This record gives sequence, C-alpha cells and structure tokens, in this order.
Amino acid sequence: MVELADPAASILTDYAPLDGVYDELMDAAGRPRAHWRPFVDALARLGRAEIARRADGAARRLHEAGVYYRAYDRDADQAWPLSSTPVIIDTADWRAIEAGVIQRARLMEASLADFYGAQRLVSNGDVPAAVVTGSPDFLRPMVGAPPAGGRYLHFYAADLGRAPDGRWWVLADRAQAPSGAGYALGNRIALSRTLPETMHELDVRRLAGFFQTFRESLASRSAPDSAGVCLLTPGPYNETYYEHAYLARYLGFLLIEGEDLSVRDGKVFLRTVAGLKKVDTLLRRLDADFTDPLALNPASQLGAPGLAEAARNGAVCFANALGSGLVESRALMAFWPRLAQRVLGEDLLLPNVATWWCGDPAVRDDVVSRFDDIAIAPSFLGHRNPIFSRGAVSGRDLAPAQRDALLDQMARRGGDFVGQEMVKLSSTPVLNGDHFEPRPFQLRVFLAATEDGWTVMPGGFCRVSSRSDPLAINMQRGGLAADAWVISGAPEGYRSLLPSGASPDLRRSMGALTTRTAENMFWLGRYLERADASLRLVRALAARASERDHDAAAVSEKLVAALQFWGAVPDPEGEEWSAADAAHHAMRANDAYGAPPVLVRRALNAASAIRDQLSPDAWRIIKALDRQLTEGASAPFSETFDRAERSLRELAAFSGYAHENMTRTTGWAILDIGRRVERGLAISRFIGRFGVGDTTPAALEALLELCDSQITYARRYFVTASPAAVADLLIFDDDNPRACAFQAARLRALLDDLPTSARADAAKTFRESIVQLEASMTGSTPDRVDSDFVFKVDQAFLAVAGSFSDLYLADQAAPR
Amino acid sequence: MKYRIRLVSTTRYDAAAPRGAHVLRVRPRDDARQRVSGFQLEVEPKSTGISESTDFFGNDTQSLVIEEWHEHFTFRATAEVERIDGVNFTGAQTAPWEQVRDGAWVSQRIDADSPAHFLHPSRIVRPTPEITAYAAQSYAPGRDAFDAARDLMQRIHDDFTYDVDATDVTTAPADAFAARRGVCQDYAHVMIAGLRGLGLPAAYVSGFLRTLPPPGKPRLEGADATHAWVSVWCGDAAGWIDFDPTNAILANESHIIIGMGRDYADVAPETGVIVTSGKQALDVAVDVTPLG
Repeated sequence: MVELADPAASILTDYAPLDGVYDELMDAAGRPRAHWRPFVDALARLGRAEIARRADGAARRLHEAGVYYRAYDRDADQAWPLSSTPVIIDTADWRAIEAGVIQRARLMEASLADFYGAQRLVSNGDVPAAVVTGSPDFLRPMVGAPPAGGRYLHFYAADLGRAPDGRWWVLADRAQAPSGAGYALGNRIALSRTLPETMHELDVRRLAGFFQTFRESLASRSAPDSAGVCLLTPGPYNETYYEHAYLARYLGFLLIEGEDLSVRDGKVFLRTVAGLKKVDTLLRRLDADFTDPLALNPASQLGAPGLAEAARNGAVCFANALGSGLVESRALMAFWPRLAQRVLGEDLLLPNVATWWCGDPAVRDDVVSRFDDIAIAPSFLGHRNPIFSRGAVSGRDLAPAQRDALLDQMARRGGDFVGQEMVKLSSTPVLNGDHFEPRPFQLRVFLAATEDGWTVMPGGFCRVSSRSDPLAINMQRGGLAADAWVISGAPEGYRSLLPSGASPDLRRSMGALTTRTAENMFWLGRYLERADASLRLVRALAARASERDHDAAAVSEKLVAALQFWGAVPDPEGEEWSAADAAHHAMRANDAYGAPPVLVRRALNAASAIRDQLSPDAWRIIKALDRQLTEGASAPFSETFDRAERSLRELAAFSGYAHENMTRTTGWAILDIGRRVERGLAISRFIGRFGVGDTTPAALEALLELCDSQITYARRYFVTASPAAVADLLIFDDDNPRACAFQAARLRALLDDLPTSARADAAKTFRESIVQLEASMTGSTPDRVDSDFVFKVDQAFLAVAGSFSDLYLADQAAPR
Repeated sequence: MKYRIRLVSTTRYDAAAPRGAHVLRVRPRDDARQRVSGFQLEVEPKSTGISESTDFFGNDTQSLVIEEWHEHFTFRATAEVERIDGVNFTGAQTAPWEQVRDGAWVSQRIDADSPAHFLHPSRIVRPTPEITAYAAQSYAPGRDAFDAARDLMQRIHDDFTYDVDATDVTTAPADAFAARRGVCQDYAHVMIAGLRGLGLPAAYVSGFLRTLPPPGKPRLEGADATHAWVSVWCGDAAGWIDFDPTNAILANESHIIIGMGRDYADVAPETGVIVTSGKQALDVAVDVTPLG
C-alpha cells in the first residue's frame, strides 16, 4: 500500500465524497485512487495559495485564447468558467469507454442509413414509425438520397455519466452538429499551462492527433481546385460562435455563413473576391433545418436556397449529413439495445439510460404506474412543453396541477413522452476557495470518422454541476467546465497540427476571402476613417468654442457647417447650432448618421462579422472605443475636447495593431483601400471648405490641423499658411500620409495585393478609376487649386470606391 | 367529372430583385381519385429552366430560378383533371377512435401515406390545450372515428365565421381559433390541431373547388382561390377520409386535389427566395371550369 504523504492528506482532509455516489478521486475507503495520486501529490507540493493563483491564470488564458460563449439573451461574451481541476480517467476505464462509443457511433451510422434508406427497421417492427417521424430532424427531403462521402456521421459525441457501481452510461447522443470539442481544446491549452509538470508526470494523452486525423479525413474529401473544407456557422449571434471561429482557425478551415454560398445548376459555390469557388465539403455547425429556405425551413435566413437539393444529388458533402440529428431523439434510446442486436448483431458495450417510450399504451401504463420513481422526459427535441422548460422531470417533484396536466397529456399523446431511469452521476473534485469539494459531472466524448472506422478524442469536455445533487435530471445549465485527462498506457510522441508536408488545403484557406468578409473589411476601414474625420472636426470646434475673434468665429461657423454636412449633427430645428452645442451634440448623438458614436458602432458591427480575421487586440480597441463613446454620452461639454482627443488616439492605436498583426494580405489590402478612399474624400472635402476661394490664415490653420499636418507645414515652409503651400502639402505631396496624392499612390500599390478577378471588365474599370484619380491631380499645380479642382478629386475618390464595390462586393446585388 | 383548371398568381415587389428561386406545387395530383392531363406551366419573367420532381408526400414540384432583374413574378398553371366519383369514403362504420389512435402510434408503415407522418406537431400546426379541449367534445369514449370527425368538422363550420380579412397565410391555428375566424386554411389547421391534440393523425390537403355551383346548388366558400381541407386517418380499413370543414361536407367530386402534407407549409403553391428589400403584394386568380 502506498504511504499517504502528509501534504496530500492535508489537501484532502475536508474532502468528503457524497453518499451513494461513485467518486472519481476517492475510493470507498477514503483514499485517493492510484491514478489520481501524482496529481494530488503535485497539488500538495504547490500548496493552496499557489493552486489558487494558477487557477486564476487558467481562466485568464482561456479568455485570451478566444474561448467564449455567447448567451442569446445577453450582449456580452462570457468566458467559459473552467475548473482548475481536471477529471482524470485511467487507462482501463478509457479503453472501455472508447470501445463503447465506437460501437455506438457504428450503430448510429448504420441506423441512419436505414431510416433514410430501406427503412427495414421500421417495416420489420424493430422501431415504430412514429418514433422516427416524430423527430423534427427526420428530414423527409433526404429520404432515399444516400449522402455524398458515403456516410451520415463524420463527427459524433456522446454524453456519459458514471453510475454508483462504477459503470459508465450513455446519457445522450449528439449527431446534429456536436459542440464542445473546441472548448475542450481551449480547456486543455489553458490547463496545460497551469499544471505543466503534472500533465507530463501523468502522461496525459494529447488531443492534437485527434484533430489532425479529423482534419485530414475531411480535407481528403475535398477536391484540389475547390474552396477546401468550409465550416458553416450560423454567425456571431450563435452561442457557440467563438468555438466555430476557434475550431476553424485551429483546423485551417474557412469560416463561412450561408450568405457566402450560392447554388447554381445544382452545384455549391463560395462567393470570394476572386470569383466563385466550388465547395464540396461543409463542416456544418448550422442545424440542418436552417440550411435551405426552399426545401426546409422557409423562415431561415442562415442557409442558402438549393443546398438541400445539392446534398440530395451528392454535389456537396455535409459533415454531418442533413438529417443526422434524428438519432438524438430520446425516444430512440428505448430502442438502441434492440437495434444493436438487429443492426450489428452485438450487445451494447456501454448501456444507455434505461428508457421506455410511451407511444405503446402498455408501456405507457407501466411508466405511469411507476410515475414517482422515474424521470419523465420529452421524446423528441423541439417540443415546446412548458413542463420540461428545465429538462426532464421526476413525477414526485411535480406540483399537483402539473402532475395532473402531465398525466393527462400522457393519456392523450403518450408517444410524446419517455420514462427514464433516474441516474445518479459520479462526482469529481473542484476547487472552492482553498479546498476541494465533490461535484457531480457529465463527460462528453468526441469521435471522428476515419477512412476505416472511428477515432475517439482521448479526453473530453466535462460539465460539472454547481450543486451537489447527483441526480442527472437535476443538472442545470451553467456550472463549471473541466478538462478530462486520459492517462496514457505508453508515452506518446509529440504531434502538432502543423502540416507534415506541403498541405494544399492550408494554403487555400488562407487565400480564399469571401465577398461578405471583404465587404465588412472595406466598410470597417471606411467607417473608422470617417469616424476619424468626424472626430477631428469635433476636436477643432471644441478647441475654438470660446474664441471671440472675428476670423476664428468664421472658422467655427465653417466647422459647424462641415459637421452638418458630415451628418455628425442633425440640421438645426430652430436657431443655428452654436459651436459648443454642435461639438457637444456630435459626441453624444445617436440620431445622426455621421456622428462619431454612430460611425464607431457601425465599425463595430462590421468588425464583429469578421472577428476571426482580426487580432484580439484590434478587436478589443474597437470594443473599447465603442464603450467609451457610449458611456460618455452624458459627459458635459467641458470634456468634449478630451473625449475627441482620446478617441482619436484609440483609432491611431487600431491602425497600429491592424497594421502589425493582420496576416491575411487580401483582407488587409481591402481594409486599407476602404481607409484610403475615405481619407482622400475627407481631405478633399476639408480643402474644399477651408482651403480654397475666400480663405483666411485662420481657416488654413484649421485645415492643417484637421489634416494633422501643422508640424510638417511649419518645418517645411517657415511662413504663415498660404493657400498654394497648403494645397501643395495636402494634395500633391505624396510623402505626406494625409495628402490626396499619398492616398492615390497607396491605392495603386494595393492593386497588386488584390486577387485577380474573373470579371475582366469590372477589373479594368477599377484599375482605370485609380489612374483617373492620379490624373485628376497630376495635370495641375498648387496655385491653380480651386473648388472645381477639389470637387474633381473628391469625385475621383468616389469613383474608386464605386468601382471597387462593383468589382468585389457587387455579387449580392448582381444577378447570380 | 372533368374540369379545366387555371391558376394565375402574381407577386409584385416594391424593389426590383436581381434573382429569384422558387418551388411551385401547383400540378394536381395523379392518384386513385383523379387523372391529370395537359398540365402546362408558364412563368414570367422567363426562367432558365424548370425542373420537375416529386416530393416526399408524392406532390409534384416545379423548381425554377430567374436570373434577371424583375419587379414581379407570375406563374400560370393550366390542366385538365378528371375527378373520379365514388372513390371516397361514404360513411360506413369505422373503429372506435381510441383504437384508431393507438394503432397509428405503433404503425410499422413509414411510406408517404402512413399515419405516422401526421401525428406530430408540424411547422405551422402545433396542438394547443385550448384547441384539444374543443376537439375533445366531439370525442366521447368509444365513439366511432368517422362519426366523431364529422361532428368536429360540423362544429368548426358552425362556430367559425368565414372572413378573408381576419387572417393571412402565416396565421397560427391558435390565433384563428381564438378569433373563431378565418379562411379554409385556418379551418383546416384548427381541425388538424384538434385531431393531433387527441393523438389522431390528420393531414392538410390543398386543391381547387369548382368555381360555379351545379344548377340549383349554392356557391361554395373558397371557390375563388385555392382551397384546403383535412384528411383524417380512420384506421387501417377505412384509411384516409377527406373532410372539408369550411363547407361542412366530405370532399367530393367538386374537390380537385393538388397536394397533401402535414400543413400548409408542405403544400404551399409557391415557396420562393428572392433578394429584395421592399414589400411584396400577392394576387391570385383561380378558374375551375367543368367540361361537360
């Protein structure tokens, strides 16, 4: 027997397993199980304070890694609450789990093939037809159409629990679009930095190999000239969007939404800035019913019309196939033991929760007779029965009125209900303050299809209850997430996801840029630059608000007029705007399309649609800027100058981060094009208002300030501002980053970073618009700059923006 | 009885659309009850090609794409249909309704006609406690399935007011039931919700009704547009029997069948996805002319 070291004992002195429950850490005699010993010893060495410190670090790293989920009812991103203690599973237990879930995945696959194919399991009486037809995921358009790729399931997950006798049970099946594998990966990365020595000492099995196999298996289905594997997400409003973005990045798949797809002549294409690219493999995180508004849910705006038909005809491989969610029905759990025999000729290696389907009157009567000792649950997903608003119920917990209502419903429509054995979950330690407490948990394990079978992720995603009630039906949403550590029987070599050879799919996925992403990039650039110009006007005005001098007052009037023209303040209702009121209002306005808070919010919306393309720092800056402007809405006028100044600094910081950290050259080029066009427009309009015609030194000074060029000017000319010298600096000087000519030169340089478009005419028009822009300036000299001239430059910038949209973004509007 | 059918539907868009994808279900069904000949379909603007298919429930579909800017979409369907007399149920005894119900839930059939498809909530029809309680009044213990369904149909007809302004194609059965108003679609959806609430299979049938009544007979409600009624599963022996709650009659040779499904969403004459920002206005005209 192993001698219990004192420190270990001290760490576990107050750890008391729950009655009648299997505890992962402690055996019945109150000793740590052998496979937990290295972990307990390591923690004892670290001490309580260090453990708590490291736990904090884990949570922070998870957040930094971009592992969030989003609650539909909340605006904010939620960090996943990660337990600093893993669930440790020994080799023998894991072998049993592995064999059990692989068998189950085979059973699911074969059953799906029958339900959508020959349907013998129904006609032979092994499953009543109503059990199949009752699932909202039994997609009738997919009946009789074997899926491309030869299988329904590419990725499958099972929720497991451990019974008091130590056996693992299947609690639920996930086949629609299983979530959690990305979170498991995030949990692992966070924890491996928290407890690196312990992981090494325990020989915890690594996860990378699983993901590599999964990626290769999917990528091998994708033709070399296609867009590669695309991960189809419902978009940023989905609660697991960050997992989609995270997985897409990790696996090297392109993250796309339904509107990126177009089905033509029965084939599926991705709209990219380089034209249409054929799509043959879609990793689907969008529920099947939403994939096609024509053949499936007509209310869906998340899919693309024709996708289901393309799947039917084998033109596109969905992972998982449309309709796979059928096997998630609880009603089917009553039949899996029998189906395992019928389909595989085997007994289930891992039992599932004993389940009785009440569509058979005799079975229902039996369930009703045990009403108080049994759990009652809806047979199918998608039910809207308020009795189950928090999941399955136990008869004995129901109030009399609910009890009567449920019994009445079971008498009328028994098939909507199943009875299930009440399952007690095992417990695992979680750190609460500086001591451990046992908490019930479920383990989700993930399987990926390979060419010749299935591979299981050696680990998993654990959901740990926030309470100590071990009944599975009382597990609530929330609680903690925990990593699962599978102890390796033998040491493993190091594996990383970096490709071993030249991997074509990796290169492709970096290159393809969807038109939706391009459009959001372009507008992100434009809105940020427009906000910049708007803020400069506000700052200039706020600085002059108290001046009484005649020339300065005239400049203020011009600034107010410019703000109005910009749409940063609404047209005055009665009296003209005073300088102070206009500046103050613009910084708080949500009623004016050109006000800084509105422009920043639009930039934020564009950014949130392309989050996976932005560095976390760039994203945080836009978020912070938006918050700053929203929260400062009630600030007095005296703070207006400082607020504008601070916002301008944030914008400059964004440019810096975007410049330094954006690796996708096409996306970066498009963002920059948006900024250059918008900056050119702002400068030419500033010049038109302050620099030509009847101008004054005070107006020219304001102009230099608006264009951030006072210092350059002072260095270069040593004279008070003259219209020609200012025009030279702000229009013709292609070394000044705030001159029109500089923007034109950048635009010309950016042409080379853009992909070749299949539309030669539109490409030519775009190129010519830049030539025209340059020509609008080269034909003149500073002393001949007048309002007609700057108007021509202004129009030339607009023409560049227009022809760019026509070339790369117009796909939405043009016939397709 | 032989008819010539003509259906013209026009959707006008406030803002022009660059493209449209549509699935039509307008061809009358060929089955034991009727024969269809000379079906023709024209669409405007011209489509790049119409592909014909049959959906899960055996309804004919025409899928098409329009690849030009357009401000309206029109389709004209014409056909000649021979409705065969005497195939429908005439009112012999069926089994007690509980027996019909229990049999449907354990049915081993899963073909398109199987009652198992029509037991469950569908896109538009979800049973509600109120409609179920209403339907239950026609279903005394042990009552004959056919008899009870006919009683329910009669009660809906008597209790509801036919009102073309009260509802639209998206109205939920619960709302039509609360108002006791609507058109054939609402009558049918309410009856289906009641039957399913009791655990009985019920299907939605879309079709046409002869426009002009035979001499001396009153004009039936719903004849100026496409019509809808309910098919009720009455057990393995009797099969499906069609009830028209809008007119409180069994479907007869005046009822020409287009499609059958779980509710309107399965048989909508037109499902479309167009790219347009404005509102849409729909105009439908139906002619059903008896041919001698």
